[in-house]
Amino acid sequence: MRACLVHLIVILFLTAGLAVAQDAIPVSAPQGLAETQEVMPPSVADRDQPDQPLAETPDGSIDSMNDEFTEDELLEEYTAHENKEEKVEMADPLEPANRVVHEFNDKLYFWALKPVARGYNAVMPEPARIGVKNFFTNLAFPGRFLSCLLQADFGGAATEAGRFTINTLWGLGGFLDPASGGELKLQKQDTDLGQTLGVWGVGQGFYIVWPILGPSSPRDTVTLAGDYFLYPVSYINPWYYWFAVRAYEEVNATSLRIGDYEALKDAAIDPYIAFRDAYAQYRFKKIKARKAKLTSSASDSLLPAHSKNIPEGGTP
Amino acid sequence: MKNHHYAKRLGVALLAIVFTVIISAPVMAAGLYGPMQTVSRQQGGLNTSIGYFYHADAYQDIERYAIKQNQFYMQAAYGSKNIWEAYARLGVSDMAMTGIFASVNHYVTTSKDNFESDWIPFGSLGGKVFYPINAIFGVGAVVQGTYYFDDFSDTVAITSGGMPVRTEIEVKRLWDINFGVGAQASLPRNIQLYAGPYLYYSEAKMSRHSGLHGIGYGSQDETIENKTKAGLLMGADIPLIKGFRLNLEGRLSDKFSAGFAVSYTY
Repeated sequence: MRACLVHLIVILFLTAGLAVAQDAIPVSAPQGLAETQEVMPPSVADRDQPDQPLAETPDGSIDSMNDEFTEDELLEEYTAHENKEEKVEMADPLEPANRVVHEFNDKLYFWALKPVARGYNAVMPEPARIGVKNFFTNLAFPGRFLSCLLQADFGGAATEAGRFTINTLWGLGGFLDPASGGELKLQKQDTDLGQTLGVWGVGQGFYIVWPILGPSSPRDTVTLAGDYFLYPVSYINPWYYWFAVRAYEEVNATSLRIGDYEALKDAAIDPYIAFRDAYAQYRFKKIKARKAKLTSSASDSLLPAHSKNIPEGGTP
Repeated sequence: MKNHHYAKRLGVALLAIVFTVIISAPVMAAGLYGPMQTVSRQQGGLNTSIGYFYHADAYQDIERYAIKQNQFYMQAAYGSKNIWEAYARLGVSDMAMTGIFASVNHYVTTSKDNFESDWIPFGSLGGKVFYPINAIFGVGAVVQGTYYFDDFSDTVAITSGGMPVRTEIEVKRLWDINFGVGAQASLPRNIQLYAGPYLYYSEAKMSRHSGLHGIGYGSQDETIENKTKAGLLMGADIPLIKGFRLNLEGRLSDKFSAGFAVSYTY
């Protein structure tokens, strides 16, 4: 109960911060997409990262309704003519404090999380770790489902519902992911409540680094609150069981990406700036892709039925 | 080549003999075995399924009371080369015994007649092998063991001579082992039909925490086992869409049992 109260206070604080931030720091959204290395510092937000590359349909076409990554690729191809390196600006009025927290998270990663994850890595085979990650990803279904609904992406919501049903029943409770393979090809909808706000036009606000949780913005911090209430693990009692499960989930996720953080850090002159820019571009790109998907869906639905599926130069 | 052909004929003949001998014995029943041939990909792969099985049976000493179970389960299997498969199953099951609490004495009244337990988890391990005779027919065998991880129990309130007493019946450490053989035929549209005999043994400890007389069930802490040890199974495995298959199966022994499962091939 006490832990739950603490969580609620943190969430209320973060949500209040969001409201202030949206008015205080307007962020100009650049045109086009900037290429970015999608390597993020360790963060619980990484739970929703996709598990595997997406497959094409047998005829080589790509299912854009269900394929977030493929959608990104298509978008990049479409904007290839303006594929200039554009920098996504993100205000950082809290830089001194953020740097301290960034340093804290960095030490936490190298001194605690990484050694534990490496030990875990040594004793747990990779397929089992992927299975555990699949299980937690499946559990996080309510957040993705609600986000799709809030974005009026009903196709995405149906895909998520189908994935959850199939993976829970035929994926052994979510440890396996049959929904994304074989003939089903129901890809995970890579979205969250922060992206939903972004799709609605809410600016990301300023850069903020949370202890343990990593890079965020006031807008995306809503994801943390949403995650808490929409994530079944949050309802585990007593609180130390909840903490143990969350810690295990994080160690498991980290064990599958050891080296990513180091690679980005080593390549950067100022890792703090590198992570901030990567985060800003990463989130911008995701929201852009979601908007493109929704626009595409809306256009398709506005087309008269007889104009769809007309073969080149032929009758329907 | 000639020897190979001879071995095939011998296998079919032996199967026919086993089939005939077991069918002539009293028949009875158990759970869902699935088709004799694995549904996994030929190069090797997983298949998973969810299933429901209604299991009715009679146990020695308490054969007057039919034991009924509703079993829901989830199964993971690995098979290869269309000839073998190993599988593990986790599920939950309840148990009911009709009339076991019914009073046989006018001076004793009970709050209910039937034993109805809560849901208990169980696990099964099994394997099957298949030998294709030609493109249409084949024979196979399946072995499967099940253990229930908790005890089935229910309590009844009894009034005897105006004195209220609560009595509990427990069915503890229930397990079973099954062995079946069957012939399988492949029909158009990849529908598989299979049928054959099976052997089945099930055992549990049954205890009653009450010394009250007048209730017609077995003695305290006794070992019970299924009354009939053989039966006949038959089933069909029907392709659905996008890698899913529907498996229907019925088993006939002392009682009739039946169930279905929907499998997905990776």
